[in-house]
Amino acid sequence: MNAAAPALAMDKDLPTELRELLNSPNGAEFEQALDAIVRQREQHMFRALGQLARDLHDAVRRLGTDLAQDGFPGNVADARQYLQDALEMSANAAHRTIDFAERMRPQAEALTINAAEMLKWSQDNEPSAVLARESVMFAEGCREGLAELVVAQSWQDLTGQRIKKVDNFIGSVESTLLELVRLTGALAGSDLPASAAKVSSQEEADRLLSEFGF
Amino acid sequence: MWREALDKNMKILVVDDFSTMRRIVRNLLVELGFSNPLIQEADDGENAIAMLRSQPFDLVVTDWNMPNMTGIDLLKAIRAEASLKGLPVLMVTAENNRDQIIAAAQAGVNGYIVKPFTAVTLKEKLTKIFERIAAGGVAA
Repeated sequence: MNAAAPALAMDKDLPTELRELLNSPNGAEFEQALDAIVRQREQHMFRALGQLARDLHDAVRRLGTDLAQDGFPGNVADARQYLQDALEMSANAAHRTIDFAERMRPQAEALTINAAEMLKWSQDNEPSAVLARESVMFAEGCREGLAELVVAQSWQDLTGQRIKKVDNFIGSVESTLLELVRLTGALAGSDLPASAAKVSSQEEADRLLSEFGF
Repeated sequence: MWREALDKNMKILVVDDFSTMRRIVRNLLVELGFSNPLIQEADDGENAIAMLRSQPFDLVVTDWNMPNMTGIDLLKAIRAEASLKGLPVLMVTAENNRDQIIAAAQAGVNGYIVKPFTAVTLKEKLTKIFERIAAGGVAA
């Protein structure tokens, strides 16, 4: 400090009042002036931070408004509902297919049994025997095909799991956005609504967003 | 031949959060000769463990990804409970990464089937499970 001060005091780039201060023998005066300079700089920094927070808040507000108005589907809740609808529709379709297979299987089994019974009472080359043999083959083919049809419905489970993952992802994007809204709202000096502390339902989320002007 | 190796009157619990998948597994089991009325269903691990505690079962076929209690947690809960720990558990899941298969093996799973699967695969795994148990072996 002792070695640096005289060197700094000679620096032509320093403001005059600072150079004079450095040369001043009055310690208290020096401290006071230094405090004033630091305070001034802090104020600049806080003003800049405040501006930054307000800009960020505006940007997030615009993002929220865009999400609520411009897109299609209309908003996050709609998007998630559409995914739920797709999940339900695909499950219903798969169940209808399995209903059909379950209804047809006993009929195929009955045809196998009845045709086999008929074969016992027919001569080999009789038309009824030919028909009975064809029926057995057809019924067996049906049974296998129906079983495969049921297993093939596992597409609903596999696609449904992916839909659920996307739904969870949208949910986490939404809560991250809400957290960002809460933080920027607080930074920009808005009063923090009580509901912002914890968001657990869509209703609360919507209310919180509306409190922040979304 | 394989049907003789498997007891057709086994009580089976099918655990999956997707009703479609529960129905598919039930259909496959019926196709393999198991009795339809003896097959019961649960939609997550929590409900499954409650059912397992209240009535006897001979086999559990469970999914991995489920809300509330996952298949791996169900498996661990079964192995941790004195009255259930010997129950055969077959995992049927879309999870096919190495770590998860290892985790299931370490938790004492008896068989592991990756979805989508066929009746042939289900038949093979079930036969293997009960052959091992008959031979006095433990979980694979």
